[in-house]
This record gives sequence, C-alpha cells and structure tokens, in this order.
Amino acid sequence: MDLSVPKGALWGVLGPNGAGKTTLLSIISNLLTPQAGDVLVLGKDFRTSGWEICSRINLSSGHANFLWSLTVRENLDYYAMLYGISRRTRRQRIDTLLDLLDLREFARSRFEELSTGTKQKLSLAKALINDPELLLLDEPTVGLDPDVAFRIRGLIADLHRDGSRTILLTTHNMREAETLCEQVTFIKDGIVRASGTPRELKRELRLGDAISIDFAGIFPGPSIERIDGVYGVEVSGPHCRIRVDDHRERLPEILGRLASAGVSIHDLRIQESDLEDVFLAFAK
Amino acid sequence: MHLRSEITKTRAFIFKNWTMTKRNVFTLFEILFWPLVGFLSVGLLAEFASLGPEMKAFILVGIVSMSTVQVCQLDVSYVLLYDVWSKAIKHGFIAPVGIRHQLLGSCIVGMLRGGMVFIILMGASYALFDFDFTVPGFWALSLFLLGIFLSAAMVGAFVCILVLTFGNRAEVAAWSLVSLMLLLCGIYYPVSILPGWAAALAETIPLTYFLEYFREFYGFQPTSTNVLAKGFGTVLAYLVLDVFLMKIALHRAKKTGLLLRLSE
Repeated sequence: MDLSVPKGALWGVLGPNGAGKTTLLSIISNLLTPQAGDVLVLGKDFRTSGWEICSRINLSSGHANFLWSLTVRENLDYYAMLYGISRRTRRQRIDTLLDLLDLREFARSRFEELSTGTKQKLSLAKALINDPELLLLDEPTVGLDPDVAFRIRGLIADLHRDGSRTILLTTHNMREAETLCEQVTFIKDGIVRASGTPRELKRELRLGDAISIDFAGIFPGPSIERIDGVYGVEVSGPHCRIRVDDHRERLPEILGRLASAGVSIHDLRIQESDLEDVFLAFAK
Repeated sequence: MHLRSEITKTRAFIFKNWTMTKRNVFTLFEILFWPLVGFLSVGLLAEFASLGPEMKAFILVGIVSMSTVQVCQLDVSYVLLYDVWSKAIKHGFIAPVGIRHQLLGSCIVGMLRGGMVFIILMGASYALFDFDFTVPGFWALSLFLLGIFLSAAMVGAFVCILVLTFGNRAEVAAWSLVSLMLLLCGIYYPVSILPGWAAALAETIPLTYFLEYFREFYGFQPTSTNVLAKGFGTVLAYLVLDVFLMKIALHRAKKTGLLLRLSE
C-alpha cells in the first residue's frame, strides 16, 4: 500500500469487508505493527517519535466501547488525563465537547446505560479530547439511526471546516464518503485500487452520468457522440440514453446540437452516478 | 518529560481503578467478605487447635499478609483487566502513556485497598485473637507492608504480561497465580519444611523474606541472614523485569494483532 494524505485533508478510505480499512487505521494509530514498510504519521516515524505522535492523534471507532461503570464525564476525564491535560483545561474542554456533541444531559449517565448513538457521540468526544491534528474515524456512523448519523456527519464536516485538522475516515456508506470527503481511496485485499476525488474516480471508470431524453425528430447520434466527454449514445425509437462524464458540463452542448438538428424534447431525465457505482466497480 | 503531566497520567489510572472499584459490589467483597472469612476460619482453627501465642502469631501474620497481597495484586491486574472486560483496551494504548504510569497508578490504589484490608484484619486480630501487629514498631511494620505491596505489584504486573501475551484466557491468572506463590513462600508453615526443590523456589520469592523479617519480631528465626535486603533486592529486580517483559508483550501484542482482538 502506498498512500499519502496531505495535511488538512478530509480523506475517505473505502473498501469491502476485509479490505483492510480498520487495519490501516490501526497501523496509523500504532495499535498494530506492520509486517513490512514504513509509516510516517504527521511526518514522523512511530519507532523514533511514538510518544509525540500519540499526543497529536486520536481515534474514534464504530461500535464504541468504554469503561462501563464510568459516566460520560468520567470517561472523558480519564482519557483527558491519559494525555496529561491539566485539570482546568480538562474541565473546559470536556464542557465544550459535551455541548458540541449534545452530551450534556448524559454527562452523569454511566456508559453501560447509554444508547448506541450516544455511545458513538462519546467516542467522537473522546477522540477530540486532545484536540488532535490527525483524527482517525473508523466507520463513525455504523449502526446509527439516520438522524443521529446525519448529525455526526455534520459534526465531522464542522471539525474539518477550518482546515487545521486532518481527518482520515473509513466508511461503508458511499453517500457519507461522497458528502464528506474531498478525496477517497479504494482499497481491496490491503492494496490501494484507486485514489482521487469522487469525480476523478467516476471519470477513471467512465461511469459518469446518464441523460435520458424522449424526443421527436431525427436524432443526430454521430454528432452527439463526437462531443468531448460523451462516453456513448444509445437510441431506441423516440428515446435515447447518453452517457457523459459530467452532465453539468455536457448538457448545454448536447441541447444545443439537438436544437440545431431540429429535435424537439418532450422529456429529459438525469441520473447521476455516485460513489456506490464506483465502489461496486472496484469491489468486483 | 513534564512532572505535572507525569503525575496527571499516573492519576488517570488511580482514578480509573478507584472509580471502577467503588462502583462494583464484587470489589467490596474482595476487601471485606473474603479476607474476613479467610481470617476468621484460620483464626478460629488456631483457637480450636489450642496453639500457643508464637504459633498463633505465625499463622495470623500469614493469613493477614496473604489477604493483603491478594487484594493489592488484583488492583494492579485490574489496570488492564478493566479495559479488557470493557473491550476498550485500545484507547489506553493509543494515548501517550507508559507502563510506568499504569503500574504506579494501579499500585497506589492496590496499596490503599490492601492497606484497608490490613487495617481491618489487624483490628480483628487484636479484638478477637489478642494478637498485636504493632509489636515490631512503626518502621518495621511500614517496611513489611511496603515489601508485601511491592510483592503484590510484582504478581499483578506479571498477570498483565500474561494477559498481553495470551489474551482473555490469562485472566484466571489474576486469582490463581498469587495462590501458587503463597503456597511456596510459607504463609501457614516455615519454608524449611518444604522439599528441597520447593524451598529453593521459595528463596526466589520476595514475600518469603518479608514474612521471615516480620515473624522474627515474634520469635521465629529466619532461615537466612539479611532477609529484608534480600526481599527488597529480589522484588525490585522482578519489578524491573516485569516492566521489560511487559514492553516486549505489548510489542508482540501489536505485532500479532492481539491488542485489537482484545478490543473487539
């Protein structure tokens, strides 16, 4: 695997079950020692700067587990102490995180009493306790109700907004990756299959978007096919389906040529490909 | 290395062990029920057997020491076991903390709980069996307690090594390992009655020397000279070895993926 994530990026790691996503995050967080190769985290090597790296990164996992008898506040206090944070700073930071993640009402509830969604919020709060420069999120919304997942996604986007924090996120949820991540990397069997922006990956796979048109007149097939960015044209009677790299860029020219050819349009539908299509293509 | 940060990290483990302990009824049994049941059983047996004051002293020093060591070593083991049982062990090892913070923090809680057990049983000894633990004096008692607490830390750390090497299967060692050690170091009998090989093994256990040191004040001659120095020498050597082995075990657990499996 050869992967380099720039500072300040919100980077997604996608792949089927067993692809090695969690293994990758575990290696980056020094929970797992790689059998070969070098891993630089924040430009440093764990073998020589482990202590420093540990204090500048943190990890939140899906299916969060913490000390069962400790309350939400106590769990956060405990993990803050592990980072050597002073009492006053701990108190301020915990209060901020309780508000940020809507955990205030659960501050005195024991971990064992929390719902799955609240546990996940605690996991995210714990991962932010040392204000990490590199935040590793391992399937942060797995198993959550859609509304809670939506809120968590919003929080992740907010955390990245100022650009000072690098976020590496693994997910199965393609919509989540497409919404949140500027760049994504597909891995399978521990190997990077593709890396880039969602748009670049769609282009690489020639997935693009589909424009379906119901028309009247003589369809200028060859003329449309010659437009840059058009992958293919299928015409069947008064219907046609045009596959393009990006409908936003290609539609004006297509419509212009259809108008020039005297074709009248009765109906037009656009179907965008998403990362799910890319995922399926790479997972094959 | 900042002293304040070091203290905060050590306090984290004191906080964790103490809070988990006070919220679990089982741990209350550990410091009250089992030690008192064991103490009363042995004390009453000594009364029934009409043992003389010296023999009674020998037996009571043994049972009180055993209970104290057991509770203290459990706390050191708990520093990992609470995380293993919570499936949260990885969060601790992501943070910039060292084995020294874990062992020191948990040992302080162990000393507090072990100290409670010792005080309760010391009071019970005086009230029920007319046996005074303060005869050797404050300093001798303090040195003896320090010795048994360090012995407990040594065993607890070894349990942590086993957990990091063999995973959940090794947690039974938290309750069984110390019993094996107590069998050899002469809790209820002098090590001189053990067969040669067992007596030789007993000499490698620091608790043997601390028991002999304390019993000397009640008229029992130790089997060797400088027992206190030998006790502290061996226990400190074992603790250094524990830290070294724990680092190796942790390194191995990261290589084999055991650390992750313990979190699943």
